[in-house]
Amino acid sequence: MFAFANFMNTPKETTMNESHDDLIDNPTPRCPVALVLDTSGSMSGQPIEQLNAGIELFIDEVKRDDLARWSVDLAVYTAGGLADCIQSFIGVEQIVGFSPLDASGGTPLGQATRMALDDLEARKKSYRDAGVPYYQPWLVLISDGAPDYGWQDAAQRASALSAQRKLVSLPIGVQGADLSVLSQFSSKPAVALDGLKFRELFQWLSASMARVSASTSSDASVHLPSVDSWGSV
Amino acid sequence: MSLTVRSATGESVQLSDTPFAQGGEAAVHAVPRFPGVVVKLYHPQVLQKRADTLRAKIDAMSSDPKLVSLKQHPGLAWPRFSVFDERGQWRGYAMRKAAGVRMNVLAHAMAYREQFPNLDRPAVVAYLLSLLGTLQELHTAGVMVGDYNLANFLCDPNSDTVTLIDCDSWQVNAAGKTFRCPVAAPDMLAPELQGKELGKVNRTLESEYFSLAILLFKALMLGRHPYDVVGGAGPVENIRKGYFPYGQGGGGIPKGPWFNIWSHLPFKLKEQLIGTFKEGAPNASARTSIPEWIDFLKLYQRELGKGWHDTQIKPANPKTKEYRGTQSISQPIAA
Repeated sequence: MFAFANFMNTPKETTMNESHDDLIDNPTPRCPVALVLDTSGSMSGQPIEQLNAGIELFIDEVKRDDLARWSVDLAVYTAGGLADCIQSFIGVEQIVGFSPLDASGGTPLGQATRMALDDLEARKKSYRDAGVPYYQPWLVLISDGAPDYGWQDAAQRASALSAQRKLVSLPIGVQGADLSVLSQFSSKPAVALDGLKFRELFQWLSASMARVSASTSSDASVHLPSVDSWGSV
Repeated sequence: MSLTVRSATGESVQLSDTPFAQGGEAAVHAVPRFPGVVVKLYHPQVLQKRADTLRAKIDAMSSDPKLVSLKQHPGLAWPRFSVFDERGQWRGYAMRKAAGVRMNVLAHAMAYREQFPNLDRPAVVAYLLSLLGTLQELHTAGVMVGDYNLANFLCDPNSDTVTLIDCDSWQVNAAGKTFRCPVAAPDMLAPELQGKELGKVNRTLESEYFSLAILLFKALMLGRHPYDVVGGAGPVENIRKGYFPYGQGGGGIPKGPWFNIWSHLPFKLKEQLIGTFKEGAPNASARTSIPEWIDFLKLYQRELGKGWHDTQIKPANPKTKEYRGTQSISQPIAA
């Protein structure tokens, strides 16, 4: 299937119907994470390579945590030329491989964010239909520039959800990013990534997921690890 | 940088550099010279705000003669004595090192398979009876656990014992003072405590019984929360409403093996769970007590031994035969 070109999943999970079984057999409270990635032309070379390595690290580290691996659901969206969902929501446990992303074209970040927010809503409904509790969803948006036209409504949606504490929205700017625009995607300011420290970023993200999934309740607030190690705020 | 701490009597020990456990409030370090001991050091920012309160509680817990049996209890990592840094500042306390796997791994539809590959119903019941015995002793001493966080109950994979850690968060009457339990996960909390400022309210035996029933259900049902219901509200809202989907007049049991597992539980046990989660939500006096749970689980244990119930953790099919325990009057039972 085209949509899964970059991810390989365990065979039984590749169709929509069967991936629903996961919510039946595994009642662990879920933490859905949507990665919205700028894969436009300006990211080519080192940046996209480091980003790829970071995503792979994230998947590995979450899978290594005995509780987070059953709790974190991941979806990945790219904004490079076209906006695309390259991985719809799936338990990280079921991801068996990830092939690197390429970078080319423009930056339809608004469209990719819109897709992510729509899918998050749908995912939350699947949780409710299955009686599976969930933590506040995460939207992690990474860009080295600014979105192309037509992003304001998507930014507004993400920012409103974040202000209502219904979404943890984390816009992250790689060098050259327009932080003031990215900041409009959240109720909290965007964070500038120090150099190309994607590794540290994704390490922090997996540590945060471990904290969230170890917290006893989907209603509890969670102390996240400090961001000092990767941000250059 | 190596860490050195000392006791009130001045005896100093080196701590392991890297903590083996870390949380939002504190880090726990091994003591290489005393392998059976660990030291909990509160984070500096926590001490800055609450050192006096924390120290008063730890000193009271470790010195009150009424609590001395808890200090020595094999199922508890009770605070033994305060520890200080080299400048004499209070930093935390020493306790016995507890071993085992967190109960939220055992009570987990997926994660149990790695740590407890042979988990069956007799094993789960044995852990629960170990835990209930310890909780009963705590309650007799006036200690309320308050925060029923399954990660603080360690199950020893090589025996059937459970050790309770994080004792310093509990509600304790010691040295003439009540120290409250300021924390809890909302989805483990009795309805009358929902939304309350926990540092300002007393936990009661009844609020303990409610949280405990959730724990028992989760352990017997592979981590499924009793108030998980399909199509709408989350567990906390269902606790407030007393909406428990199992038993008559319920509805909304999640799809999957849950109904099968439920159907295999003894009728008397299910009756207690239904009573506690439905009637017991608004009416605290209707909740099953610890002595009652111990009786019902011991009965389950005996009947499992006689082959009356499926011992599998996840039976494949719902129970077909009538529960034999209800027929015990007409059944000849070997003494």
